[in-house]
Amino acid sequence: MRVSLFVTCLADQLWPSAAVGAVALLRRLGCAVEFDERQTCCGQPAFNTGYRPAARALARRQIEIFESSAADAIVSPSGSCSAMVHHYDQLFDDAGWRARAKGVAERTHELSSFLVNRLGVEDVGATFSARLTWHDACHGLRDLGIKHEPRRLLRHVRGAELVELPPPGAETCCGFGGTFSVKYPEISVAMLDEKVDAIERAGVDAVVSGDVSCLMQIAGRLSRRGSTVRALHLADVLASTP
Amino acid sequence: MRSGDARAQILRVIRENLAQGLEPSPPRHLAAPGSSPPVPLSVPESSPPVPLSVPERGEGRRSPSPEGRGGQGVRIQHFTEQLSAVGAQWTFVRSETEAGAALARILTEAGARRVVGSDAPVVQRILQAVGNGIAIDRLEQLSRDDLFACDAGVTTAQWGIAETGTLVLESARERSRLLSLVPPIHVALLSTRCICESLGDALARVSTSSHAITFITGPSRTSDIELTLVVGVHGPQTVHVLLMEES
Amino acid sequence: MTFDRDARAALADGQLRGALRQATTLFGERRRAALATVPDWESARDRARAIKDETLAHLDRYLEEFVANAERAGARVHWARDAAEACDIIGEIAERRGARTVVKSKSMASEEIHLNAALARRGIEPVETDLGEYIVQLAGETPSHIVVPAIHKTKAQIAALFADKLGIAPSDDVATLTAAARAALRRRFAEAELGISGVNFAVAETGTILILENEGNARLTTSLPRTHVALMGIEKVIPRFADLDVFLQLLPRSGTGQVLTAYQSLLTGTKRTPEDEGPEELHIVLLDNGRSRMLASAVTRQALACIRCGACLNACPVYRQIGGHAYGSVYPGPIGAVLSPQLFGLARSAALPYASSLCGACREVCPVKIDIPALLLHLRGQVVERGAGKSRVLERLAFRAYAAVMQRPHVFEWVVGVARRLRIMPPLAAWTKWRDLRPLAPRSFREQWRAGLRDQGGADA
Repeated sequence: MRVSLFVTCLADQLWPSAAVGAVALLRRLGCAVEFDERQTCCGQPAFNTGYRPAARALARRQIEIFESSAADAIVSPSGSCSAMVHHYDQLFDDAGWRARAKGVAERTHELSSFLVNRLGVEDVGATFSARLTWHDACHGLRDLGIKHEPRRLLRHVRGAELVELPPPGAETCCGFGGTFSVKYPEISVAMLDEKVDAIERAGVDAVVSGDVSCLMQIAGRLSRRGSTVRALHLADVLASTP
Repeated sequence: MRSGDARAQILRVIRENLAQGLEPSPPRHLAAPGSSPPVPLSVPESSPPVPLSVPERGEGRRSPSPEGRGGQGVRIQHFTEQLSAVGAQWTFVRSETEAGAALARILTEAGARRVVGSDAPVVQRILQAVGNGIAIDRLEQLSRDDLFACDAGVTTAQWGIAETGTLVLESARERSRLLSLVPPIHVALLSTRCICESLGDALARVSTSSHAITFITGPSRTSDIELTLVVGVHGPQTVHVLLMEES
Repeated sequence: MTFDRDARAALADGQLRGALRQATTLFGERRRAALATVPDWESARDRARAIKDETLAHLDRYLEEFVANAERAGARVHWARDAAEACDIIGEIAERRGARTVVKSKSMASEEIHLNAALARRGIEPVETDLGEYIVQLAGETPSHIVVPAIHKTKAQIAALFADKLGIAPSDDVATLTAAARAALRRRFAEAELGISGVNFAVAETGTILILENEGNARLTTSLPRTHVALMGIEKVIPRFADLDVFLQLLPRSGTGQVLTAYQSLLTGTKRTPEDEGPEELHIVLLDNGRSRMLASAVTRQALACIRCGACLNACPVYRQIGGHAYGSVYPGPIGAVLSPQLFGLARSAALPYASSLCGACREVCPVKIDIPALLLHLRGQVVERGAGKSRVLERLAFRAYAAVMQRPHVFEWVVGVARRLRIMPPLAAWTKWRDLRPLAPRSFREQWRAGLRDQGGADA
């Protein structure tokens, strides 16, 4: 299986371990991984803030880059960026571009979904001794339907104990929402504090998620509140071997 | 005439905007039933009074009725369970005599002094059994202030809905609209043969020749203050169903 | 733009936040329990949405059918292009019918058009009879939630309010407070000459209007006075009487977790004989006020499918924190964020489409599957395109720069590389005031790729 990595700008620059871990993991499972260095950003920040022409320009670029790949699948360590690609067709009136957008979207998978649903793998041979809880990133959960995949993967990690977040629960938004986090920081942090309160009540060593944006939001507040709980990307855990 | 202009303009703006957005929304769901332009339907005829009888399978039902599983008996039980669940009370009676006795007991226990009955003949008959010390009024004789001073209203119900514990009142069949609303106690006489299974069944049975059809599910209630439930607000606080068993 | 200020005030109000947390949590739990009692909840949602789509696609014909049947049954139907016209129509009816005491049951459309103020200018003071609306009216405030308008008030506050306005002894017993309101309103019901109500559904096939409630005040409002005025948005029409079934399955469960509310009134025209019970006159006022414009595209049209259940408010993590008043509109919460800009103009409501993290919880609970996030994104695009709301000069520049940089990978790397070496991060005080900012990694992924990861060499984590 040949995979083209859609690294995402955030993971690339701010949380490279997620991408490095994803590559190691995919190779361990027998995939050949390619990385097209032309890629930058999928355009989600522009799209979400209402700057559609800018989003469209970046969408075209992403489509062109990944169309040129002969890989069997495009895999990303981000639910929201994968979801963005799946929404690309909404950006175009032109039928030709819509078709191309759909073509790339069909081949684009979020990491946990790729592992469980495409590769059919739940045990990736990882070892990580810690008490963990999972945070469902909104786009991955509600746009892509990713719910059981990360949980199944984490349950097979040797040494890991997975607990569900107490109310308001794993599915409740962490408050990031892209530019929302800086346009309405007080509301964003009010939402975030409820999530962090739940994480602390869960008594875990680390909170794990599939989106760097959520991780930045949660990690930023955990450390500001002096918490010892770590924030980890799914790939950080799954790539971990003894 | 202003309203005529407004009508014409609103319809025109609707048509213009619909023409713009000609592309139907992407089908993310089942195809719309009857999505071809609607055919104007004829005015529904007023239905003749329906004798109390076993309801037939209604149309547009979402789930099969438990007819085959002991039918009406199961349905009646379901109905009484739902009545309890929604805070209504109920008593089985097998004759008008028993109904009258039950009514008298209910009213006496509630301390009702003034009771008003609807124009349904059976209501007038069972009110005969209500004893001394309780004044019986007829709606037509009452001023509005008097109506508000009544302790209980007695009516029949045209239908019951098993699934939800609901009473259905049709204004063309009986003058029960105010009696089932203003006095704090509402007693309703319902034949067990008129209990249908579901909301859909009831909708198929009522007729809009009644200018007011009322669905009543338990006593009135509110949680507007700190989400704390209070039973008995503007409508009745007590709903008591006299279930007339008829084979 | 007052949203920012009002949201901050709401966040600082501990009591409000506690009340919101409790209410939204409770309604969420009840909703989940209730929808388990419908054999196929998803297909009920699909059916309801299909009915709404069909209706909206032919709204003119269904409205005409409704009007014809309602008039045939004795109702008088009026068409109002905007709020002012609707207020005039209702005011003139009230004056012509000599209405001095007017009672009102819950109608969001009436708040949308500021009906009470318009009637007050004619010397007519309608009394709100829904308990939550009554409380809010006595307090001189506006409702903060579609279903529980006074959710933002404690019983202590309500007790003080009733002591002041109704002259009762203060009590912290909710049943006592409710009884006081009941007593005060009962007198009004007895005297009222005109009742004004909303409409939940209007059936084209029969000319029937349906009103749902729990308290009984809508029944009293619509059966006692000799004149009944029913105000409805034009989108309330549904095609067939039997269609009521699926909506009655969805609405109470979605809004409050009830299987059915205590009362549904299905009113078709006026009484057939003078001796019957009920008003002499029924006036139905059809309100456009910007709804027809929303039909122009599929993405905006879907907001007209809303059945005002309030489920999206209860599910929204933003609403949970700030409540309804911060939205500054009769329609708060997620549906309010997409309806208000379309009904009242983008200029007035430009902040609302941005007051969301786009989490999608609203779409998940909406009984008619309105894709609110898609609508929010559409409106954000409109805000930017039209330059509505506050100035975005810096933001536009920032996104222009962002787009330019992101189309040039070498520039992208260079810019970030510089920032990393100089340890500069964008001046995001809005972030760092509450959250630590993770520094840029020593080596980005692509640097590590080039340095050996590509060739399956070693990599640092």
